Formats: sequence, structure tokens, C-alpha cells
Amino acid sequence: MSGPHAALRVVWRAVLLQIALSRRRPEHALILLIAPMQTTTMLALALTEDREDVVANAVLAPGLIGLWVAALDYAGRVVTEDRWAGRFSPMIATPVPLGLVVAGRVATVVLVGAAAFAESWLAAALAFGRVLTVADPVPFALAITATCLATVGTATLISAVFVMSRAHEVLQNSLGYPFYILGGILVPVAALPGWLHPFSRVVFLSWSAELLRDTVRGDASDWPRSVAAVLGLGAAAMAAGLWLTRRYVDRARREGTVGHA
Amino acid sequence: MEAAVHTCRLRRVYAYRRRDTVVALDDLSLTVDRNEIHGLLGPNGAGKTTLIKILSTVLLPSGGTARVLGHDVVAETRDVRSLVGLVLGGDRGLYDRLTARRNLLFWGALYKLDARTTRARAGALLERVGLGERADDPVEGYSRGMRQRLHLARGLLHEPRVLFLDEPTSGLDPAAAAAFRRLVLDLRAEGRTFLLATHDMDEATALCDRVTLIDRGRMLLSGEPARAGRFLGDRECVDYTDPDPALADAAAALPGVVDVERRDGAPGAWRVHTADRDGTRRVLAWLLDRDVLTARRGEPTLEEVYLRAVGDRGMTV
Repeated sequence: MSGPHAALRVVWRAVLLQIALSRRRPEHALILLIAPMQTTTMLALALTEDREDVVANAVLAPGLIGLWVAALDYAGRVVTEDRWAGRFSPMIATPVPLGLVVAGRVATVVLVGAAAFAESWLAAALAFGRVLTVADPVPFALAITATCLATVGTATLISAVFVMSRAHEVLQNSLGYPFYILGGILVPVAALPGWLHPFSRVVFLSWSAELLRDTVRGDASDWPRSVAAVLGLGAAAMAAGLWLTRRYVDRARREGTVGHA
Repeated sequence: MEAAVHTCRLRRVYAYRRRDTVVALDDLSLTVDRNEIHGLLGPNGAGKTTLIKILSTVLLPSGGTARVLGHDVVAETRDVRSLVGLVLGGDRGLYDRLTARRNLLFWGALYKLDARTTRARAGALLERVGLGERADDPVEGYSRGMRQRLHLARGLLHEPRVLFLDEPTSGLDPAAAAAFRRLVLDLRAEGRTFLLATHDMDEATALCDRVTLIDRGRMLLSGEPARAGRFLGDRECVDYTDPDPALADAAAALPGVVDVERRDGAPGAWRVHTADRDGTRRVLAWLLDRDVLTARRGEPTLEEVYLRAVGDRGMTV
């Protein structure tokens, strides 16, 4: 068997591998520990100021943050960890592209991050009695799905960038907050200075955040365009990630740095 | 029929900081026949691992050609990857928190095996390498020997026809190393070819059909380990046992004697290295004249050949 079937099998095996690894070292679960605290803080601020209009922001933001943390802090380290552990050489000696393994493992970690949405909703309902209702459930579900897929694509790109960089820890530590801002997670993009808007539009999170808030409020008339933007940016990131991963493997084979940790 | 491995003027240069370069393989030409166990000997930094990595497509050569079962390692990378197994060994390279079985299930997918085939082969291989009872324990609790065996099982999962083993018994206790060697011999009997990098001369002598000694990326000698003495040209030796060191001093002064050394193991055991067969006859006759009835013609061991070819460079790399 070959072609797409074999590729899907590799991705699925990588998913199962990551599930098994996550069960034995559930460090991604920290995302789920932090999400309710973020919901509590943001919702408390919104309610104290009588800002009913930003309740949706306060509930949705921890979910988006959870996804980004999953992509940046955990998924991004997948290849780097394999390299440190000496698994890289035998891995690239196999006939399948490394990018497929990365994508499968990253998808699993992102899925854990996505659970932050549900947790945040629960925290708002149980701790504050605020049950967030979704006015446009179908576009909302599509928005969540598209956002998760785009996060997988972006995390694949992040993983490739980290492994190519000699300062991946610096990147990891510094890429959180700028993307919360550019992604319109903490503050809507419209509230940011105008010169930031073009940068914001190439960050899939900005489209996701806006779309999710609009679907909750029942104000998502243009949702297909937003979903397409999220998926398009995610696909572009995935393509760039797979290309960079391949390029990195080729470079390591050429320069003889495969075994370097 | 194509050889299992054939390299022609294979070259690999590592560049550091743009200006500094290290030549790891220098025009190395080597042929490994099918169904052969071929030992690759050499000091640290000789180029053994570099050669294995090029042949398993992990590294690209800087020049020359390398073919595995007729496939070029650069132009036909995917074909080569399906045909070869790479066993780097050591403590690293596995998912420590997962069980041996789960490790193999994952690696099976990387060789495009379906889940059912992988499960069946993983179970059979784990039994075969003696890990059947511990197959569902996390690898982090494994000893070094168990990890080595798991590395071998991983290398065999896709049933490769050529296996590259890089110091597979390094750090194993003698019993585990012996079991490992028996397994390699069994696998050879199934028609597989092995290229085995090792520092263990006894292992090379016991296991390999032929050995190649490389140093600084160049081949120094290649041939059957049992006839290693031939590598030293006409050199021969005479072994004898006598407690008197003065006798050894006197033997060293005989014509045709290269040197005399004390042998490890038995007390009073000496080895006289001679320049040629005449020298050997002379030493044997001289010793018999002095009632040393333990004297006999000896064969230089592979280790002696190695030390003479590579030189005594101690800890220098």
C-alpha cells in the first residue's frame, strides 16, 4: 500500500504515539489547569466593570490561548525533542517524510489545547453562572474546527522553525504575547492601532477570534469568508512547515548535523 | 549479481565554522558481498559511523558513489531505505516512556507496514530478541542490553536485507554480547547481510567473514579475520612460557627478531615477533636448545594487527 493511504497511516500512528506519550507525561494538561484561571480572571474583570458585551471575549479567549500554548510550548518541541533523544537519525532513515510524523503528533497536542474551550465554558457556567449560548451554532462549530486545523498547520511550521533555530527557547518564550495581541485574543483587532491591522490579518487567530465572537453574538453573516481565511492561512503555514522540515532534513544530511543534539 | 554494499572512492568532508574541515571518509572503496558479515574496525573518529550513516541515507556523501543492493544511496534514497536496517544502539534513540511493543508499532508505520503486520512482527521479534516477557514494560526500565536488543528488533521490523550495526554490543555484559552475536549469526543464516562497526576484536574475529580496518577515513586493510596475520606481511611470531625474563632479553637479540613482549593472561608467557619464516625457525630452534618445550609458532591476533596498523595513539583522537 502506498500514496495517501500510507501517508494517513503514518499520521494516525503519530497521533497514537503522541496519545501514548501524553498519557505517560501529561505536561500538556497544564493548559487545562491554567484555562479556568484565565477564564475566572477575565470574566471577573468583565463583570466587575458591568461589561456584558465582553463576556464572550472573556470565555473564548482562554480557549484560543490554550490552542496557541499547545502549538508553541508543546507541539513546537516535537522535532527538537526527537533530536535530543537520538531518535532523529533512525527516523530520517525510514522511507516516510518526517513532516507527516510531525503533523500527526502536533494534531494530538493541539486537540488537548482545544479542550480549553470546553473548560472555559464550564468555568463560566459553574463559577459565575454565566452560560454562554451560541447564536449561530453551525458556523461556530466550523470556526472551532477550522481554528484547530489552522493551529495544527501553524504548529507544524513552528516546529520546523524551532528545530532550525539555535535559539528556539528564546522564540518559544517570546512568541506568546505578541500573538495574543495580533490575534485579537485579548483585545479585538479593531481596538488596535491601525498600522497593526495588516500584520494582524496574516495571523489566523485574528480571523478565528473575530469569527467565534460573532457566531456567539449571532452576527456572523460573512462567516464563510472568515472560515476560508482561517483555513487558507493554516494551509499555508502547514505547507511552509512541511517544506521547511524537508529542507531541514536535507540540510542536516548535507552538513552532517543529523546526530547533533 | 550486485554486491550488498559497494562504495567507490567515497568521500565525506565535514565543514566547521566555514573554514575548518575534517575529512571523515577519504576515497574509500569497499565491497560487502551478499549474505556476508563484514566487520568495520577502526579507532574513534576513523569514519566507521560516517560510512554507516551514508549507506543508510542519513548522511550525504561529499564525493564518490555508494550503492546498496544496486541502488544509489543519493539518487534512489527511498529504495535504499526500504532495503536497509539501521541499528545505532546505545541508550538513546527510543521512546523511553513507552513500552517496547508501542515503540515498534510506531516504527512499523514509518516503514509503511500496516498495523496487523507490525503487531505480528513486533510480537515475534520481541520474543526472538528475548524481550517477550518485558514487551509491555516501559523502555525506561530497560538495561542497556535490553535496549540494544530492542534497537535490533526495530532494525529488523521491516525485514531489511542489509543491516548496518554501529557498535551493537558496546557496554553489554559478556553473556548478553554472546547472545547478541548468536542472533546475528541466525539472521545471517536467513540470508541477511551485515555491516558491523565494532571496537571489539574478539567479536570481529568470532562473527565476521571479512573485516576492513579504516583510519582517518582511509582503508588500511581488508580480509578474513582468521588470516589477519597476513596483513602484517611476512611477520610471524613464536609463543613460549618461561619465568626467566633474561631469556626474553636474549631472544630479542637474535637475528630476525622484531621484538619480544610479555603476554597477558598466563604468568611467564612471552611472544617473540619475527620478521619472516627463517626468523621463526631460528627462534624455535634456539628455544628448544634451551629446553623451552612450550615454544610454538603463533598467529598474530586481529587486535595485534589492529594496533600495528593504527599505531599506539593512546587517548588521542
